[in-house]
Amino acid sequence: MEMKGWRLAEKEWREWLEALARAGKRIIAPVKEDGIVLFRPVASAAEISLADYGNSRWSSKEFLFPRTEPLFSYRFQGDEVNLEEASSEGTEQVLFGLRPCDAVGVVRLDDIFLGEEEDPLYAQRRRLTTVVSLACDKSQAECFCTAVGGSPAGVEGSDLQLVRLGEAWLLRALTQKGEALVRGAAAKWSPASDKDRKEAQAQRLAVEQGMRRNPLLVESAQLLERSFNHPAWESVGQRCLSCGICAYVCPSCSCFDMNDEGNAWCGVRCRSWDSCTFAQFTRHASGHNPRPTQASRYRQRVLHKFAYFPLQHQERSMCVGCGRCVKLCPVGMDIYGAVERIVSMKVQNV
Amino acid sequence: MQQLSEQGKAAEKEWEPRIVALVCNWCTYAGADMAGTTRRIYAPNVRLVRLLCTGRVDPLFIIKTFEHGADGVVVSGCHPGDCHYVQGNLLSRRRLSLFRALMDFLGLDNRRLHFAWVSASEGIKWSKIVDQVTAAVREAGPLTHWGKPATTHSSGSLLFPDPAGDPRPAPSPEENESIAAHLKKSVASLLSEGEVSVVIGYSAGSLPGQMVPAFVTNPEEASLLAWNERCANNLTVYLPQAVKRRDKGKVGVVVKSCDAKAVVGLLRENQIKRDEFLLLGVPCAGLWENGRLAPKCFACLEEVSPLADWTIAPDGAKKGVVTSGKERPVAVDPREDEIAFLESLSAEERWDYWQRQFSRCLRCYACQAVCTLCYCATCIWERHRPQWIPTTIDGKGNTAWNVTRAMHLAGRCVGCDECARVCPADIRLDLLNRRLSQEIDKRFHYRSDVDPEAAPPLTTFRPDDPDEFL
Repeated sequence: MEMKGWRLAEKEWREWLEALARAGKRIIAPVKEDGIVLFRPVASAAEISLADYGNSRWSSKEFLFPRTEPLFSYRFQGDEVNLEEASSEGTEQVLFGLRPCDAVGVVRLDDIFLGEEEDPLYAQRRRLTTVVSLACDKSQAECFCTAVGGSPAGVEGSDLQLVRLGEAWLLRALTQKGEALVRGAAAKWSPASDKDRKEAQAQRLAVEQGMRRNPLLVESAQLLERSFNHPAWESVGQRCLSCGICAYVCPSCSCFDMNDEGNAWCGVRCRSWDSCTFAQFTRHASGHNPRPTQASRYRQRVLHKFAYFPLQHQERSMCVGCGRCVKLCPVGMDIYGAVERIVSMKVQNV
Repeated sequence: MQQLSEQGKAAEKEWEPRIVALVCNWCTYAGADMAGTTRRIYAPNVRLVRLLCTGRVDPLFIIKTFEHGADGVVVSGCHPGDCHYVQGNLLSRRRLSLFRALMDFLGLDNRRLHFAWVSASEGIKWSKIVDQVTAAVREAGPLTHWGKPATTHSSGSLLFPDPAGDPRPAPSPEENESIAAHLKKSVASLLSEGEVSVVIGYSAGSLPGQMVPAFVTNPEEASLLAWNERCANNLTVYLPQAVKRRDKGKVGVVVKSCDAKAVVGLLRENQIKRDEFLLLGVPCAGLWENGRLAPKCFACLEEVSPLADWTIAPDGAKKGVVTSGKERPVAVDPREDEIAFLESLSAEERWDYWQRQFSRCLRCYACQAVCTLCYCATCIWERHRPQWIPTTIDGKGNTAWNVTRAMHLAGRCVGCDECARVCPADIRLDLLNRRLSQEIDKRFHYRSDVDPEAAPPLTTFRPDDPDEFL
C-alpha cells in the first residue's frame, strides 16, 4: 500500500513540530552546540539546524537507551532495605531528523531490548517514541549503508520520512504511528504528486551511486564466524588503542554495565553504557581476561556486528553503515575494511 | 538520588553551609582538639576528616566531597617545615594550589576552597579559620550546581575570538613526497640490517586524506609508509608496549618534534630506555586540519625533534638532527587568547561553559587511550574499590573524570593535543592542559618537554614556593 505523502515548505514542517511541542511532546532534533551537531530536546523548532547537516556526531540512541539510567533505588532503614523500582518518564517523544541509517539502528536496539526478554524501561520509552527520519541528499566519505543492506532513503525503523527536494520537502507517512503524528496538521498540507515521488527516487539513486563501498558477500557472516582463529586478526587489531569511541557513537551498540551510586545507607543502581573494546569489559574478578589483547577485543566487536548478530537475526547486519566509528576512530580503524579483508582471505582459502 | 535531593530541598529553606575539613593528624587535628578543650566558640559548620598528612590529599578527595554535597572544603595541615613526614605538606602545597587554579579556571567559586596551616597549639587560629571559611562559603551560597550548569540558559555555543591567520603556508606535495620516499628507503634498510624489528609510521587510511598509524615489520612493507601534513597521530603512544613486545632490535618510531616531547616524559618516568628505540624525525612544517594550521603548530619553532636519531630530510636521510636552516615564521598560540577570553568571563559563565563541555563527555576514554603519558596499566577510571570516578555517565562522573585526567597530567603533559584532537565530543581538553602548563611555568618555572633529568614539578618542592595558605 502506498502511504500518504505531502509536499511541504520548510515553514510548514517547522510549524507542525512547533504544534507538537505545544501539545506536550518532546521534540528531539539535530542542533548545533560548540560547533558540532547533536541530537537534543528542543524547546522550539527554530533551534533545529539542518544547514550542512551530514550526520550528527553521535547517534540519537541515548534517547531510547540513555547513557546512564537508574534501575532502582535502595534505602536501608534499620534492618530493612527498601527498594523502589525506577520508571521511565511517560513523555511522548519525536525523534526528528535521524538519517535512515540511525533509524535502522533503532530497529537493531529493538531486536536486543524487545527480543526474547522485553526490557521494561526501554519498551516504555520505545512505545512513546515516533521516528521521523530525514533521507540523505548526499553521502559522506565514511558512509556505507548500502554495503550492509541499507539505503540513503531507507524506511526501516521510520514512522515518517522527510525528503529534501531542493526548496521543497516531501513528507511520507510510513506507519500508523506516523499517520497519527500528522493527523490534524496534514489537512492543510498539499498532497505529494507522482512527480515529487519520482524526484525523491531519482535523488536516492544518485546518492546510492556515489557510495564507495560494495555490498558484503551474502555468506560473510558464516565466513567470519569460521575465521575466529585466523592469524590476520592480530594485524587487523594491532593499532586499536582500546578506547570506547566506536561503541559510544554507534547507533546499534547496546552493551551496558551496572553500578551502584550511593553509600551504605541509600543509593541508586544504574546501568551505564559500556564498550567491548575496554579491557575491563571482560576482566574477571580473578584478574583473568578471556579477551586479553586489543586485537581479541576488536575481533569481538567486528564479529558481533557482522557474524553473531546476523546469524541470530535472519542475516540482518547489526552494523547500519553510518561510518561514524570509521571517521572518529583516533587511529582510523575501519570496521568495513576489517570485514572485507578477513572475508576475502577466507574466500581465497576455501 | 531523588530522595537525597528532596532532603536537600527541605534543607535549603534554612540553609547552613556544609564544610568538610581535610586535616592532618599531627597538627590541625590536634589544633582543632585544642580549640575544643579551650572552649573556643566557633562556627559549627565544619566536619573533620582526619588524614595522616595533607600530603595524602588527592584532589579527588576534594572532588568527592563536592560531589556528595559539601558547599566548601578546607584542607589544613602543619606549617611548612613542621611536617611529621618532613615534606608531605610542601608537596601538597604545590598540588593543591594548582588544583585550585584549575578549579578557578573551570569556574568554581574560589570562596569554596581553602587551605590553611594550623599547628597543634593553634586552637585559636583554627577557630578563626573556621569562622572565616564559613563566612566565605555562606557568602558563596549553597553549591547546587556541581556537575551541572549554574544557570538554565547555558545551551548554545561560546564564541571565541577569531584566531590570527596561519603564520606559514602548508608544505608542498613535492616536499612531502621526497620525505616519504627517503623514509621508505631508510625504514627498509633499517629493518633489513636488523637495527630495528618494527617501525611505527604513517600510512594512508581508508577515508580520503586520512592518515593512520602503520606497523612495519619487514622491508617490503616499508613502501606502505607515507608522510604529509595530515599525519596527526602521536605514534609514541605505542612505544612503551612495543618496546616490551619486541624480541630483538629496537623499535623505530616516526616522530614530529611535538610527538617526541612525550618521549622526554617516558624517559624521565623510567618507562623506556634510550637504547630501546630509534626516533626517525621528520622535518615538520606543521599539521593541517581542514585547511588550517593546527593551533599547537603556531608557535612551534622545532622543525625536527632534538631527540631524533635520524632526520628524514627532503634531500635524504641523515644521522642525527639536521635542520634546513630556513627561517620559520611563527605566531602566538591562539589558545593564549582563548584562555584569556575564558578568564575574562565571570566564574559562573566559565562554570556553565565547562559543564556544557563535560556534559557531552561520553566517557569513551579516548583522551586517555591516545595519551603517551597515560601509560598506567590500570587507570583510575578502571578502579572500582574504592570507586573514585563514578561510572555513571552524567555531570558528576564526567566532571570527576575530566578534572582528574587533567590533574594527573599536570606537569607531565607535553601539549601534543592528541586528547583534544580525538575527543568525539570536542571537549577543549587542550585548554585545560595548557592552562595548567601556564600555571606550572609561572609558579614553579618548569616546562615538561625539555629536560629528561628534571623532576616533575608535583613530585618535588621548594621551601619558597608560592604560598596562598591561610
